[in-house]
Amino acid sequence: MTKKKLYLYIILSTAAGYAWVLWSLHNYTKHSSITPCLFKNVTGIACPSCGATRSLLEITKGDLYIALMINPLGFVIAAILLIFPFWILYDSLFKRQTLYNAYLKFERTVTIRPIAIILILLVLANWAWNIHKGL
Amino acid sequence: MDSQKVDMFLMTNAKYFHGHHLNYIRERLMLLDDSKWMSLHGVDLKDPTMILIVSIIGGGALGIDRFLIGDTGLGVAKLLTCGGLGIWTIIDWFLIMDATKQKNMEKLQQYL
Repeated sequence: MTKKKLYLYIILSTAAGYAWVLWSLHNYTKHSSITPCLFKNVTGIACPSCGATRSLLEITKGDLYIALMINPLGFVIAAILLIFPFWILYDSLFKRQTLYNAYLKFERTVTIRPIAIILILLVLANWAWNIHKGL
Repeated sequence: MDSQKVDMFLMTNAKYFHGHHLNYIRERLMLLDDSKWMSLHGVDLKDPTMILIVSIIGGGALGIDRFLIGDTGLGVAKLLTCGGLGIWTIIDWFLIMDATKQKNMEKLQQYL
């Protein structure tokens, strides 16, 4: 992964994320029965991140507890959407590559076995909770 | 390394790499020292077809295909967004084989 590619990916995906959240804010009642999630459409059960949109919408309303109960991953996505644009702006203004270095460090850290096992267990637990809630 | 060994390596491993990289790999392997032969076989190359199967049967939506080839960052992104709202999942059915070959090349590059 080169630096340019990573920044392009992040800019495109955060833009898509904001577009998706804004679109959902306006059309929530209309599309609540339809999901873009391929996994859920094929298997009928929720995927680990199903409910993230609903969680994000609750966060925009300020209902943090409800957001946490729908899917805690919504907070991770909200943090990424809020922080990354400013981080990229900082990097491009000061001609640094702190985000790229952080990304490489992140990739190295999560592949350390004990950390990877804990993270996988957390995702699996959240997934089981999602299925139990019937998202 | 003698050409017989190099050709043997290329014959067994050609499917793991892009066609246009094979000539370069052959040239570099010829220049390589014989002592590297064993460590060359220790390189953890991923089969593009296997990754494509994982991607199609459901691993794509959860980012498992990206985790397998070593793109951990993109794997996490894919997992968090339900496979990029399903769109990225479908795009990756077409990109993942090339991405796998690229990653294999990067892994081999460390020895060349």
